Amino acid sequence: MRILLTSLLLTSSLFSQTQSDFYTREEIPLPEGEIMEISSLALMPGEKVAVATRRGDLWICSGAYGDDLSKVTWEKFAHGLHEPLGMFYKDGSLYLSQRPEFSRLEDTDGDGSADVFETINSDWGINGDYHEFAFGSSLDKNGDVWIALCLTGSAKADSDWRGWAVRITPDGKMIPTCSGLRSPGGIGMNAEGDMFYTDNQGLWNGSSSLKWLKPGSFQGNPTGNKYHKLANLPVPPEVKSGSRVLTEHLKYPEYIPPAVVLPHGDVGQSPTGITLDKTGETFGPWKNQLYIGEQTHSQIQRVCLEKVNGIYQGAVFHFLEGFEAGLIPLSLDNEKGIIFTGGSNRGWASRGKKPFTFERVKWTGKTPFEIQTMHVEKDGFTLNFTEPVDPATAADPANYAMKSWTYILQKSYGSPKVDESTPTVTAAQVSPDGLSVRIKVDGLVRGNVHYLSVPGLKAASGIKLWHPDAYYTLNEIPE
Amino acid sequence: MIRYYFASTLISLSFVGVLHAQDGEQLYTLNCSACHGVDGKGANNGVFPPLAGSEWLEGNPKRAVSIVLKGLEGPIEVSGKPYNLAMPPHEAAMDDGTIAAIINYVFNAWGNSSPKVAKDVISVTRAEHEDRESPWTAADLLKIYPLPKQKTVLKDLTSRVYKGQWEKIPDFDKIQSENVEEEQNGIVSLSLTGMKDNFGVVWEASFVAPEDGSYEFYLQADDGARVILNSKMVCEVDGLGPATPDRSSTGKTDLTKGYNPIRIEYFENNRNQDIEIRWKKAGTKQWDWLTKKKKAQNKATNIPLTPSKDKTVIYRNFIEGTSPRAIGFGFPGGLNIAYSADHLTPELIWSGDFIDAGRHWTNRGQGNQPPSSKKVVTLANSRYLPKEARFKGYSLDPNGNPTFIVAIGNQTLRDSWKPGETGTLIRTLTVSGGESTLEIPLGETGLTESSSVTLLPDKSTDITYTLK
Repeated sequence: MRILLTSLLLTSSLFSQTQSDFYTREEIPLPEGEIMEISSLALMPGEKVAVATRRGDLWICSGAYGDDLSKVTWEKFAHGLHEPLGMFYKDGSLYLSQRPEFSRLEDTDGDGSADVFETINSDWGINGDYHEFAFGSSLDKNGDVWIALCLTGSAKADSDWRGWAVRITPDGKMIPTCSGLRSPGGIGMNAEGDMFYTDNQGLWNGSSSLKWLKPGSFQGNPTGNKYHKLANLPVPPEVKSGSRVLTEHLKYPEYIPPAVVLPHGDVGQSPTGITLDKTGETFGPWKNQLYIGEQTHSQIQRVCLEKVNGIYQGAVFHFLEGFEAGLIPLSLDNEKGIIFTGGSNRGWASRGKKPFTFERVKWTGKTPFEIQTMHVEKDGFTLNFTEPVDPATAADPANYAMKSWTYILQKSYGSPKVDESTPTVTAAQVSPDGLSVRIKVDGLVRGNVHYLSVPGLKAASGIKLWHPDAYYTLNEIPE
Repeated sequence: MIRYYFASTLISLSFVGVLHAQDGEQLYTLNCSACHGVDGKGANNGVFPPLAGSEWLEGNPKRAVSIVLKGLEGPIEVSGKPYNLAMPPHEAAMDDGTIAAIINYVFNAWGNSSPKVAKDVISVTRAEHEDRESPWTAADLLKIYPLPKQKTVLKDLTSRVYKGQWEKIPDFDKIQSENVEEEQNGIVSLSLTGMKDNFGVVWEASFVAPEDGSYEFYLQADDGARVILNSKMVCEVDGLGPATPDRSSTGKTDLTKGYNPIRIEYFENNRNQDIEIRWKKAGTKQWDWLTKKKKAQNKATNIPLTPSKDKTVIYRNFIEGTSPRAIGFGFPGGLNIAYSADHLTPELIWSGDFIDAGRHWTNRGQGNQPPSSKKVVTLANSRYLPKEARFKGYSLDPNGNPTFIVAIGNQTLRDSWKPGETGTLIRTLTVSGGESTLEIPLGETGLTESSSVTLLPDKSTDITYTLK
């Protein structure tokens, strides 16, 4: 028994994969003595990074791309901003989504600090409630900025357009665009340029998830639905507490189900920022995938999306972890292959123990053995891997375990897992190049999260998956 | 056998999230530890409330169950430390078995020891509070489930009251006491003596030490007091003065497990009376009390913002007395304004300190913060410009002095502020574009020469605000 255990341990250490083999996570030194609860990041020309904080300071960091992070320098660009949660750079200006407004900041006299603070739009309501956050995107394909407006106290709609995503057009007009939001943590686009946001578990949100902001859509939380009348828009039908997302979606197609559920607890507890991998070349083979920040667990998750019958869905995988505080914004420089991220745990705790942090992650160039993508098929899934699989373990259906469940759509806070089932993998066919496996599944359940766990699957090289778990949200089953 | 064991371990490990495993520790780690800490001490070095040693877990278990079910928000004191956060409700996300497993783990982890709670207690508590829609406040919860009486390590406590006027602790052995009383609650208390001025008290008891070792004591008193254990003086505060930390005394002594004779001597000259005695095992953090436990002061963190010698400081947040889109400016020279970007007008002006950011820059930042000075004058509290007027932001000059910009149709109103001579702010108003004149109310405050001004297009007008 003891001999067996020892040899098992040895084997596992020889073949185990660790984060530092693939990704280098480093803390970027912050200006000495400053409280930098980072809430927004913007990549600027000349390898500069703009960093805004919950306290309303805005600094510009030079050297964050460099090999020697001890040479990082900081210049204060502005202060006195109101909790900016979204920032981008364009044509010499920094654009910020602040709690009360969308604004443009510019240094016109060239002294290194902003002197113009132009209010582009401030047509949404705020009433002094601490939870009325405004998370802003960068520009979409039309040149609009999208702002996701948290409910009052994350439970009520006491100010105009709470629980909505609005668009701000280039000429400064506000267009209320989607309703049914609860408590956003970040907003960003996928490869097609469609807008997504993360919404946190709570009232009418059984689990946190990544949601598609299809224009005109309803996202499930009816609290802000009184504002449809304000915009002369049709009011979605009343949602019945105790229902299911799929049931309500079938009744009202503009109720768009969450694209990817991030099962509460299993994957995270507070999803935040979204950034897109455009190339699949500089940060690992994850082309067109999204990286999602996680405040409570101090992690970054990886999401692959696909559109089936006009609806987005896809899988989330565990990815990077061990960040020093709760992550809020993250931004991938696609050219250089660096994720910059920062965060804070003021008011909301995190696994990372520091009160705030600024970090970067670089790819070492070595690719982990992972499930690269998970695509739905009419009778199962296709799994693509980052390196050829071992045909023996990969072709054995017994190595694929599945569970499925969903959550109650209800006015109470969160939900247990319900409607649980155990879909069975009946066949696993390995492609000739060993890079993909087509699994046939008996018992797919439309509307459910499908949790796949393959700890026994090996690569041809003998190693096991870095992360053997995938969580696929099955909104649609293709014909 | 071995093979079977491994196979089953693998399967159960891979499905921890799915199976309704009633493993309290696992469930706690998954659902609770982010805030309360894996070690139960409160995450982020105790920024979040601890569960280890928390008095909120003692006595009626329905108190803790109720918090898990409904959540709790607002001010609460745990183990002598104030918190002001929000815990979300879990009644919809967790079934009775899950909550029972978590509660029973917490009740018996990290040195906690409370009786096991049956699953039925969860369902009964759930039913009892079915109608409550909002999270608990600490006050509401205590009305239903008061905290248990303060525990004491003092056995056979007696008190003797002495009359006399002293400026130092007298030799009580040489004075005749007025009485001797047995204090069954085991708590050293002045209120029970009924005395006001010019008296002394000697308490005697057995201090029941939970184990052998070194113990630390803390004493503060108004006026003088000393703590004597096993005939050895451990702390002393003598002479006249208030009970404050800078007139306190700490001391260490070795005690053996069980009964150790303790004697506490105290005297009060006149006016305020107070005594506070705490103890703990040396090397531990948590103090226990021999006197009645005092509420921790909910001390706000002060982060005063001040302008530099030649540059303004800006504070954009919720400022009391104006609207949510407030923009505060503190000018060198000690005058300050708050502009309302909702009402498109400056609304407050004050002299003295600018503002304290502590409320908004700690915890979740609830509420409105008043200016730091009492001398606040309200200039306006509503909008006077036409409906189409829109806030366009502000610009700063090199000293950080603001110009607020408002678009009104085809006209632009510029509203600039900078410090003038001592005690004054100079406001420059300009309307440009278009032909219309614009009437600007200045406030019926007596700070300016008149209470309104009429702006002619493209001509700037200076107004001086003088604050004494």
